[in-house]
Amino acid sequence: MKYLLLIYGNQEKWASIPAAEWPEAIARQDAFNRKYQATGELIGAYGLADEVQARLVRREDGQPVVTDGPYLETKEYIASFYLLDCESEERALQIAADMPFADVDPVEIWPILHEAKPDL
Amino acid sequence: MTGPAAVGRGEVEGLLRELAPQVLTALVRRYGQFHLCEDASQEALLAAATQWPAEGIPGNPRGWLITVASRRLMDQVRSEQSRRAREELAAVASPPSGRFGPPADAEPADRDDSLALLFGCCHPDLSSPSQIALTLRAVGGLSTAQIAAAFGVPEATMAQRISRAKQTISGTGFDFSLPSGAERTERLRAVLHVLYLVFNEGYAASEGDALTVPALSEEAIRLTRWLHRLLPDDGEVAGLLALMLLTDARRPARTLPDGSLVPLAEQDRQKWDQAKIAEGTALISAVLPRGEVGPYQLQAAIAAVHDEATTMADTDWTQILGLYDLLELAAPNPFTALNRAVAVAMVRGPQAGLEVIAALEADKRMARHHRLIAARAHLRELAGDTGTAAADYLDAARRATSLPERRYLALQASRLAG
Repeated sequence: MKYLLLIYGNQEKWASIPAAEWPEAIARQDAFNRKYQATGELIGAYGLADEVQARLVRREDGQPVVTDGPYLETKEYIASFYLLDCESEERALQIAADMPFADVDPVEIWPILHEAKPDL
Repeated sequence: MTGPAAVGRGEVEGLLRELAPQVLTALVRRYGQFHLCEDASQEALLAAATQWPAEGIPGNPRGWLITVASRRLMDQVRSEQSRRAREELAAVASPPSGRFGPPADAEPADRDDSLALLFGCCHPDLSSPSQIALTLRAVGGLSTAQIAAAFGVPEATMAQRISRAKQTISGTGFDFSLPSGAERTERLRAVLHVLYLVFNEGYAASEGDALTVPALSEEAIRLTRWLHRLLPDDGEVAGLLALMLLTDARRPARTLPDGSLVPLAEQDRQKWDQAKIAEGTALISAVLPRGEVGPYQLQAAIAAVHDEATTMADTDWTQILGLYDLLELAAPNPFTALNRAVAVAMVRGPQAGLEVIAALEADKRMARHHRLIAARAHLRELAGDTGTAAADYLDAARRATSLPERRYLALQASRLAG
């Protein structure tokens, strides 16, 4: 079963972390990523750009229209996401609990119901 | 050109998958070092998969594969730079005596070696996804890319999983001694569980190009058939094979072309595969009277009763309930209890079934499981309580873990609400 782990944040929150603590925080996250890549359970780990770089795309009369946005109502937005493939929900929860960031804020966990099959 | 005529890719693939465990066990017997031998054996299979369709199948395919794999193994060991590898080299490089592999007409595989390989791949130190991946590769002869495609994960992810599993196997000091007594029973149960998981994975998944995305349920049947040939007297191996055949027989009727699920009650039974039903029924009929009845045999017997009914109404629910009673004794499990509740409802009426389900709700995890809620919805509908049934169907849809199931349940909810 595949699961999506989500970490939320905003610039204010990242700025509140002292610069001296970043290398340690990054090293811990790297260690987490390596650990679960090695078990074959972490399919990918991705960090997102800031909210101001996000765009909305729609199609009007067959033509793409790109606008700034999404102007979120929520204070925090997705900062990074992790794609897992593991044996059970228990295991996914265990891995989420091992996420360094789980000390600070809850990690969101979503079961993935379906996906486009990989093309070989 | 005097060689054999070019052969189909499917035929080569089939032969290679049969030979895969034999080549690996021959290599590990000769050289030890499970991890390296497995890589070399896989490379030989890949070489054959590209060469044989064009050049024809060699006279002694097994010998060919063992020779090529041994060469690859030597190359690999020679190219290793670490001191540790050189130490191992001393053991590996001692020249094997005589030609590789027995003649083509010799007894193909040492039964015990094949079993030991299977037991090793399903070692209790491995997680189930690792057991499954390693079994499919080392015993099933599937490539990492094929296994990754079957499970919908990137090849790199699957490669890591297999590599880690092989290291664990090497670490346990893989050998060919077979466990005996209670340990053997337990290890064999782990093997059967892995094969059953592979089958279920395939049964739930959609169809793909058989050569690139292997049909896992067919692979599970192939491997279980092979295990049944190795252990013809084991009732549970026969039971599992029968269960797979009797379940797979319904596959053509189980989904519509758009992928939506058709429940047992609404399936077009004309589409059921009668050859598989006949084979599965013969197997389970032969093994049940032997007396040592286990959970797979009982599940196969239940499947056989369903398969022999020409309509849902014709189903011998009393017999099914009796079998579920035995299954609950043999292998207590909340999902068995849930299926039994449905059988109770069919024999004694929906209210009796709902009482059984109410008792199961004491387990919190079970109480919010979509299967329980869906079964309760079904029985509430049978009892004429459409309002709560619709609410249950919707709740079950929210909790379902597969898309076709979710769609099916949401459809039931809207049918009752509308």
